[in-house]
Amino acid sequence: MSRRSLAVPLLALPLLLAGCAGTEAPEAAEPSAATSSAPESSAPDSTSAAPTTPAEAAGTALEVQVAGGQVTGDTGRVPVPLGDRVTVTITSDAADEAHLHGYDVLADLAPGAPAELVFDATIPGVFELELHDAGTVLLTLQVS
Amino acid sequence: MTLLAHGVGSRTDLPIPLGLALYGAGAAILISFAALLLFWRTPRLGGPDGGRPLPGGVQRFVDSAATRRLLQAVALALLVLVVAAAVAGPAETRRNLAPWVLYVTFWVGLVPASLLLGPVWRVVNPLRLLHAVLRPVVRTAPGADRLPALGLWPAAVSLVVFLWFELVFPGRAEPGTVAAFLVGYTVVHTALALWFGEGWFARGDGFEVYSALVARLSPWARRADGRLVARNPLANASATPETPGLAAVVVVLLGSTAFDGLSRTAWWQSGPGAANDSLSGTVGLAGSIALVAALYLVGTRLSGRLAGQPVAVQPARYAASVIPIALGYTVAHYFSLLLLDGQTTWILASNPFGTPGVDLFGTYGNVVDLTAVSPDTIAYVQVGGVVAGHVAGVTLAHERALLSERHARASDQLPLVVVMVLFTVGGLGLLFGF
Repeated sequence: MSRRSLAVPLLALPLLLAGCAGTEAPEAAEPSAATSSAPESSAPDSTSAAPTTPAEAAGTALEVQVAGGQVTGDTGRVPVPLGDRVTVTITSDAADEAHLHGYDVLADLAPGAPAELVFDATIPGVFELELHDAGTVLLTLQVS
Repeated sequence: MTLLAHGVGSRTDLPIPLGLALYGAGAAILISFAALLLFWRTPRLGGPDGGRPLPGGVQRFVDSAATRRLLQAVALALLVLVVAAAVAGPAETRRNLAPWVLYVTFWVGLVPASLLLGPVWRVVNPLRLLHAVLRPVVRTAPGADRLPALGLWPAAVSLVVFLWFELVFPGRAEPGTVAAFLVGYTVVHTALALWFGEGWFARGDGFEVYSALVARLSPWARRADGRLVARNPLANASATPETPGLAAVVVVLLGSTAFDGLSRTAWWQSGPGAANDSLSGTVGLAGSIALVAALYLVGTRLSGRLAGQPVAVQPARYAASVIPIALGYTVAHYFSLLLLDGQTTWILASNPFGTPGVDLFGTYGNVVDLTAVSPDTIAYVQVGGVVAGHVAGVTLAHERALLSERHARASDQLPLVVVMVLFTVGGLGLLFGF
């Protein structure tokens, strides 16, 4: 218990510092980054969407589709292990912007084109992923 | 824009571990029944005249009109600033100061402030200054005679209105909503104070009554002769006068916090509250308050009947004993919000109007550190708060029973204690997320 509570802030610290400093590849210092995929090939930037990057081999891959205001796929409360690399693929039939609260990562959605939201689940808690314009909650991420 | 259940916020707490929930519930039940058997047999917390007087200098400073008017003027200036920031600041909730000040720093922060310092909002309330300025214009307060009969019922209504805006109204986090609420609250309560006299604030201003209620568990009190004293917080709570409507205020606070917890559960979000609209929220809030009210009325009345006392006076008699339970719920639900999302207020205060280049405190570029408090700490504080509130509640109810009848049988208190156990186990269940 106590070891975990110590480890969490320590792990998160370099990430937060990197996040403050700018958006340039904090992955280099990321201890838990997946090693199976080539480290040189465009590691997804954790603060923006990368519509064409293939999903990481390790980590959690989630998919949601939005059509006519209805959300299908991995909706509802989705548990994610702390520290995991999470990839959410969002396909919407309308232009919008997806926003993950707390982590403050955004993805621009174009009609019909799948967009990816990639981030490391380093902050424990429960977070909503919502569409900014429509106000629809796509899923609720439970990081623990 | 859809936002998390409580007015604003970027995250909610993880469900507490099952083991911790069960330990907490077990402890609450054990302590309650041990208390009935082992507690003192005569009243011992002391009445409204107990306590150690504070130094005269402290009392003169706290009671001086200059201190109060100065603090009220500062609060009024901040109120104007927040409304201006809501209207003229960034349109986006997460960059606008106003929602974070109202829902997090003020509303949640009022609890620790009142717990540590006493009824602070009574001293600082900016509406009291507005009323003092406008009073000479009106001269008489036509409704002053009718005010005492209303008790604290106006405050219960005032709190329900605020809580509906905070927890239910879909546009609750919009800066425009916050501006409209603050202006509306100011106009309505200042006008009512002009009609009913200055006494209105202590009975009808929900924020002031809330602060005074929490302060009942602070170590500071005022004796009947006006002297400020320091005393055991439990003695302080025990000396709470039996005002009509006090039970309603406590029930509203408890029920609304329960609804806030309920609306965070996966069950609510995918079931009855899936629509996330005014209707489901209003029904949920009203239902939660009604359920708490029903349980409380049944528990107190049944206890009164067993003791052979008049049944009608019981709910008012025991209202003060539910204050710590409501406080425990509040700590459990909003502790992490204040410490984590509360950081946003200090970041945005550095540039209230979102003017490019302005950074008054050098904090505008900061990012909220959502890992500042670990999930383990949050879970322990949540369960600890709920269980401590429960123990204090049972203790106060026991003292009240002895005060009403010197040789009260412990078994007469059973129905009320069972209801308190239900509140606590229900509260832990909400934290666990069922």
